[in-house]
Amino acid sequence: MSKASFVVRRLLQLGVTFWAVGTVLFFLFRLMPGDPTAFVVSAQMTPEARQQVIESYGLNEPLYVQYMRFLENALTLNFGQSFHTNQPVREVIWTYLPNTLVLMLSAFVVAYILGIVLGVLTGWYRGSRFEKTTVVTALTARSLPTFYVGLIVLWLFGATLGVIPMSGMGAAGQTYDSFWARIFTLDFLHHLAAPAAVLAFYYMGYPLLIMRSSMMEVLSQDFIDVCRAKGLSERAIMFKHAARNALLPIITAAAIALGYAVGGSVLIETVFGWPGLGREMVNAVLRRDFPVAQGTFMVLAATIIILNFVADLLYGYLDPRVTYE
Amino acid sequence: MATQDKPSIFADIDDGDVDQEDESVDRWRRNLRLWRETLTEQWRMLTDDLMVRLAMITIAFFMAVAVFAPFIAPHGPLTRQYEGDAGIIIVDWAEPSFMSAESEYLLGTTAEGFDIFSQLVYGSRAALLVGLVAAVFTAGIGTLVGLTAGYYGGKIDDTLMRIVDFLYGMPLLPTVIILVALLGPSLWNILLAIILLQWRSTARVIRSQALSLRERPFVKAAQVAGASDWHIISRHLAPNVLPLSFLYGAFAIAWAILAEAGVSFIGLGDPNTVSWGTMLQSSRAYSALDFGAWWWFIPPGICIGLVVISGFLIGRGYEEITNPELR
Amino acid sequence: MSVLDVSDLEVYYETETAPAQAVDGVSFTIEEGENLGIVGESGCGKTTLAKAIIGILPDEGYVNNGSIEFEGEDLTEMSDAERRRHKWEEISMIAQSAMNALDPVYTIREQIVEAIETHRPGTGRTEANEIVAEMFDLVGLDPERADDYPHQFSGGMRQRAMIAMALALEPSLVLADEPTTALDVIMQDQILKRIGEIQSDINSSMMVITHDVSVVAETCDRVIVMYAGKIAEEGPVEEIFGNPYHPYTIGLKRAFPNIRESDQDLLSIAGYPPELTDPPSGCRFAERCPMATTECRTTEPEPHHQGDLRTYCHYADEIDDGFRSRADDPETWRDTEAARSARTAAEVND
Repeated sequence: MSKASFVVRRLLQLGVTFWAVGTVLFFLFRLMPGDPTAFVVSAQMTPEARQQVIESYGLNEPLYVQYMRFLENALTLNFGQSFHTNQPVREVIWTYLPNTLVLMLSAFVVAYILGIVLGVLTGWYRGSRFEKTTVVTALTARSLPTFYVGLIVLWLFGATLGVIPMSGMGAAGQTYDSFWARIFTLDFLHHLAAPAAVLAFYYMGYPLLIMRSSMMEVLSQDFIDVCRAKGLSERAIMFKHAARNALLPIITAAAIALGYAVGGSVLIETVFGWPGLGREMVNAVLRRDFPVAQGTFMVLAATIIILNFVADLLYGYLDPRVTYE
Repeated sequence: MATQDKPSIFADIDDGDVDQEDESVDRWRRNLRLWRETLTEQWRMLTDDLMVRLAMITIAFFMAVAVFAPFIAPHGPLTRQYEGDAGIIIVDWAEPSFMSAESEYLLGTTAEGFDIFSQLVYGSRAALLVGLVAAVFTAGIGTLVGLTAGYYGGKIDDTLMRIVDFLYGMPLLPTVIILVALLGPSLWNILLAIILLQWRSTARVIRSQALSLRERPFVKAAQVAGASDWHIISRHLAPNVLPLSFLYGAFAIAWAILAEAGVSFIGLGDPNTVSWGTMLQSSRAYSALDFGAWWWFIPPGICIGLVVISGFLIGRGYEEITNPELR
Repeated sequence: MSVLDVSDLEVYYETETAPAQAVDGVSFTIEEGENLGIVGESGCGKTTLAKAIIGILPDEGYVNNGSIEFEGEDLTEMSDAERRRHKWEEISMIAQSAMNALDPVYTIREQIVEAIETHRPGTGRTEANEIVAEMFDLVGLDPERADDYPHQFSGGMRQRAMIAMALALEPSLVLADEPTTALDVIMQDQILKRIGEIQSDINSSMMVITHDVSVVAETCDRVIVMYAGKIAEEGPVEEIFGNPYHPYTIGLKRAFPNIRESDQDLLSIAGYPPELTDPPSGCRFAERCPMATTECRTTEPEPHHQGDLRTYCHYADEIDDGFRSRADDPETWRDTEAARSARTAAEVND
């Protein structure tokens, strides 16, 4: 199969997956026992307002009509408006998604740089004390729930030492011209540091362990012997040859893991009061603001689906040996 | 190349046998013996590793605590404690007994007046229940689907794998949160939601294993000899993928406990059950953090960490046995 | 002066129990321009020997005793940095598997230039590229394709590229570990011829490690037959394959098809080499030798010299008293299996 038809096929699959996720979500919200409108209408509304909302959502119409309308709206990324604030869901997403992305990306960059370097070293110095301690630390980091580590960090550095803010993304009362103006302030970095560090500590284990086993596999190959016989320095063999080869599986793993990380942003954002998409989704669920819950969920799912797709493409691009079966 | 040609560890079972009723008892006995030998051998290799041994002891410890919780815990997990004879409800927390001479509570009480040590002990029940049930179902469903898809191939495979792809598109925690919000917060609903998503990875791995097993001589021989599909799947494929199922089961314990803790922490936990996650949630709700009541929120996290890392370590240990290249 | 002088070399591997004595008391020399073959079954220590000489033993392997003198300098006494300077510049290798010996993520040119730049830091880019083109020409590859990645080459081309890289610095000694095993017979022939031509051009010596007797016969002047970490027999190619003294050599020779005697019965030597963590106290081959006696099992044989031939067998001096004709008879080797199982049964019954 050629590369082009591989991409086309994967794109079709992508569309089908999107459709399936959306459909399941649609029916989940509407086929629950009890009054279906209860899920899209706030209880505090007056009966007139209630009826109006129900009609504006077309909830008085048959299910299949609603479903078609839902699909139509989903294509234009129109998820309705919040019951809580009446803000269009699209706007809610645009407010919170960048915050999540900034947090996740900065944590990821740190985690992957550290994880890769430590993975190379542990793979190289196999059987050493350093390797054992690092691997056990990495496993421990992956076993402790991020929200728990977050709590401990907040308690130690926030409540006790007072060096980090307890919550949020910036000091109260500050306004900025734009998103970009905001994220390059010291205040912002001060708020970002703790949640990003906690996440980086957690995410570091994955690339570390993959890199380590990938290194071991590469180091057992004949060309490493040839490199040593060529009289190359240890560092040249370790980084230029072994690590460069071992890196391939990491890059695709990183793309996939980033997708799940954005999806899993829920907890860390809740602990640190970070105004991100995950926390917004939880809040929406808790206050039964279903249009927002649905919209934010779709975005989280879309991140995963798209990054899985990107990982597939990257793999073919980075490894010249890949063929498309 | 080596892995493909590697003889199955159960190759002895698969000598192209075709069922014959009178022989079946004997065969079962022989199979049973082989199984026992293999498992004994794997158990021996597994317990050779110090870390795995420690992990097993940890899990066994928490299992014992869970089983004997009523005998270990001095109080009920959701029984309010009263101070002295006056019958006054503790409104503030009591400090642990090793910090304050007046306190009779080993790890103090929560702001609601619950004994933390007792909650911790009962919390192990929720954690292990979630972990073990999720592991059994995740591995079971995943193996069944994986084997079916891999063995039959074609349309069946396509359909099942598209479902798996779809599940891979669902973010774990948000999905569980939404499902629990819709179904109602109970431990069983949390479990159901976790299982609904988690079998996806087992299914994918088992399927690729089944795909390669399907081409092996002993399967071909059984097919030619006219063995039924069910016979081939249950006797020839299943024994060969079972180590992988165990492996994914071990990892599922860890992931499920983490997921339950996360959902409970967010506030969608079962209000009638105490889990380590709900303990963390209530400690946060009562701002234990700001008041420095560390004895409230430190212990549950340590328990979660211990059980989860044990699951990971056993899984990794088992992985090294079944996949010698990792060693 | 000889290029390489190995004396009493012992290379051990650490294992969980006792160290495995992979190379045990091996001595030999390679003269300038000479080709030495090392043959033996897999696991006999030939690859370990090569790795020890070039200095790429794995972490758990170490030189326990003995010396490896290269042009009068003992390699085992050198510092790492000094040793690194000798690698490739003086001693290079043609690795075992053509498929995996080249780094898949760099082009062939990059890999050859890397070797040049490591050892000759002053070399300019153009000069290095000239060497690459020249070497490609020599091994019969199109210099235009130097910028290809290894996976774009066929197996035979990859092996040529490997040879080009091994000879790029005109080393005094090339270690070729199974240089042609992965190739078909015709390709094998071409490549061996090409190696021979280049080698006489740059006047380097070569040590060819193989289990394939025909490769040795084609390329080498002298042969060492190794068994279980020790030398069994050593001598000129014609002597070793024409008139061997050691039963193992005789058996090995009869285990390969011979064009001249096509009706010859092929034999297989029954059994496996001994555990190297606990080698037998007598002759290492005694367990599998159909003619072994109690002496063989208890006493290590001294070398027996006959012309240029060096043989480690107690019965080398009785070779003409029916010893060779017995060893040369496939029946003798077939017999041994039955005899051995009978013996084992008897021992168990005792």
